[in-house]
Amino acid sequence: MRFERIGREPDYSRYMDLKEGWLDRRIFSDADIYEEELYRIFARSWLFVAHESQIPNSGDFLTTHMGEDAVIVARQPDGSIRVMLNSCPHRGNKVCFADAGNTRRFVCNYHGWAFDTAGDLKGMHEEYCYDAGDIDFKNHGLKNVAKVGNYKGLVFATFNSDAPSLEAWLGDFRWYLDMILDNEEGGTEFIGGCIKSVISANWKFGVENFIGDAYHAGWTHDSGTRSMNNGQPFPPIDMDNSYHASVNGHGWEFGTEGVGDLFLLGRPKVMDYYNKIRPKMAERLGEMRSKIFGSVASASIFPNVSFLPGISTFRQWQPKGPMQFELKTWVIVNKNMPDDIKEEVTKGVMQTFGPGGTFEMDDGENWENCTTVNRGVVTRHERLHYRCGIGRQIEHDTLPGIVYRGQYNDANQRGFYQRWLDMMTHDEFGKMPARPEPQLGNVGETRNLPGLFAL
Amino acid sequence: MLDRPLAPPPVEVIVAVTQALHREARLLDNEDLDGWLAMLGKDVSYRLELKSRRFRADRSPPFPLGPGVIFNEDLGRLKMRVDRLKSGFVWAEDPPNYIRRAVSNVEVLATRADNEVRVHSVLGMHRNRIDGTTRLLTAGRTDLWRSEGSAWLLAAREIVLDHSVLPDSNLNAFF
Repeated sequence: MRFERIGREPDYSRYMDLKEGWLDRRIFSDADIYEEELYRIFARSWLFVAHESQIPNSGDFLTTHMGEDAVIVARQPDGSIRVMLNSCPHRGNKVCFADAGNTRRFVCNYHGWAFDTAGDLKGMHEEYCYDAGDIDFKNHGLKNVAKVGNYKGLVFATFNSDAPSLEAWLGDFRWYLDMILDNEEGGTEFIGGCIKSVISANWKFGVENFIGDAYHAGWTHDSGTRSMNNGQPFPPIDMDNSYHASVNGHGWEFGTEGVGDLFLLGRPKVMDYYNKIRPKMAERLGEMRSKIFGSVASASIFPNVSFLPGISTFRQWQPKGPMQFELKTWVIVNKNMPDDIKEEVTKGVMQTFGPGGTFEMDDGENWENCTTVNRGVVTRHERLHYRCGIGRQIEHDTLPGIVYRGQYNDANQRGFYQRWLDMMTHDEFGKMPARPEPQLGNVGETRNLPGLFAL
Repeated sequence: MLDRPLAPPPVEVIVAVTQALHREARLLDNEDLDGWLAMLGKDVSYRLELKSRRFRADRSPPFPLGPGVIFNEDLGRLKMRVDRLKSGFVWAEDPPNYIRRAVSNVEVLATRADNEVRVHSVLGMHRNRIDGTTRLLTAGRTDLWRSEGSAWLLAAREIVLDHSVLPDSNLNAFF
């Protein structure tokens, strides 16, 4: 066996060939690459920070991270939402250690510097120690992010003042997002709290699993499927009527049978509820989207949010170093659901995709071991295979995005890593290619658009 | 009528219930899951509720539907979990993980019902996973145990996990 000691590649395009369908294993553990991801991807992307329902009232706040930067998300007296660094401009300590709550002030534990919920510096302990000219209160508030946006209840923020609008960032993917965010009058909300767990794996393994990896479900989750389904294995996939759709690194893999994920949730009342509202959903979103919703499906929003439409788990993979992430999970429901259906959804989510869930328990270990094993000094020289379904791209008259037939496919994963590569190699945000060229660029509201054929 | 403090349970009851807790831990450590299920009452409730870190003086209202529960199981659901573990398809448990439970701080308190006791205990759980990773989880437990015939059966368990961020990728174990 011969191998050379390899250093860092001069160019990120050397870490993958997505037309051939392979990835270099070093992107899952290399510390330098990870640092660069924090700058080029996390500091420049629109990042999910909250669902607006988590902070309904003035003074409501929650704390989270954008990349590894700690931030506070706070509802203002005028109803707007601000996102600011959770770091005192004096010595840098966190000004808020709670997960969430309601407050008028954030006060630093170190010297008592106090900020209002907009981040403005209002005073400090023993204020007389500062002479005139020592400090300008106006310039010493908590640093606000560059932009905050809201797409149908999901609040995003970015540190990047050159970022396009949130609508443009999500682009044609809005057509898919409407299936979970806007399938019923009233929109959605998060219910209950947030579960956080630490997983010793690279953050990209979580994202790529949800963006396209239906393939793992029948094998990894065999035990869970059988125990919840009288010993029956995962149902066979209809490769002719299931798809991968990728838009600028976002991706949704799905069937069109309408019931697979609802069935896996294991709560018949929830299935009944959706079957009842499905005709209305078809009026609202069109026939195709009403058949996609509820089917075996999973999705990710670039760079680090994922969810299962139908199963209703919503999650974020927060990077904590090249070989660790913190997984945050919530339950998302339609606001207008009756309380007993919301309870059923919550129970179902915890029983399937909570940390004690019958499906979730199988995943973490796989990602952890992919990460640690790929790091081996010899192992890391070997390429990983991402070629599944590489010849199955199609033009579809209804579905936007780059579409592949057959939901057992690596297509969305390739789309995700293509966007990763675009961001790692382009200094100027505006020069990154659109993948694909937006087809719904001029469409303001995608709910009323059944599909591309309507254009 | 004013409630008077209840007399402590008889020492035989305290011994029997404490022994039941230790036996339960041993059965679980040894993966005798059917033996464990046999220690549960038919109406058992097994819950682990979510927590979040809030300021002590926080004035926001509680969640309308509760904070959510990681485990909210009845006997049927627990049997399903056991069936899953016994299915032979749980790749993450094969080869087996090493789990050792230590039960401590046991307090057995009388209730209004003659055949039921409230039991506080602390559980330390050491998990050594197939890839060699070791995690230590601790939890407080408040149980209701019921005497049926010659046996004490677990009727209810509320688990409070002492971690705001789970230090592990799953909770693939009974507390």
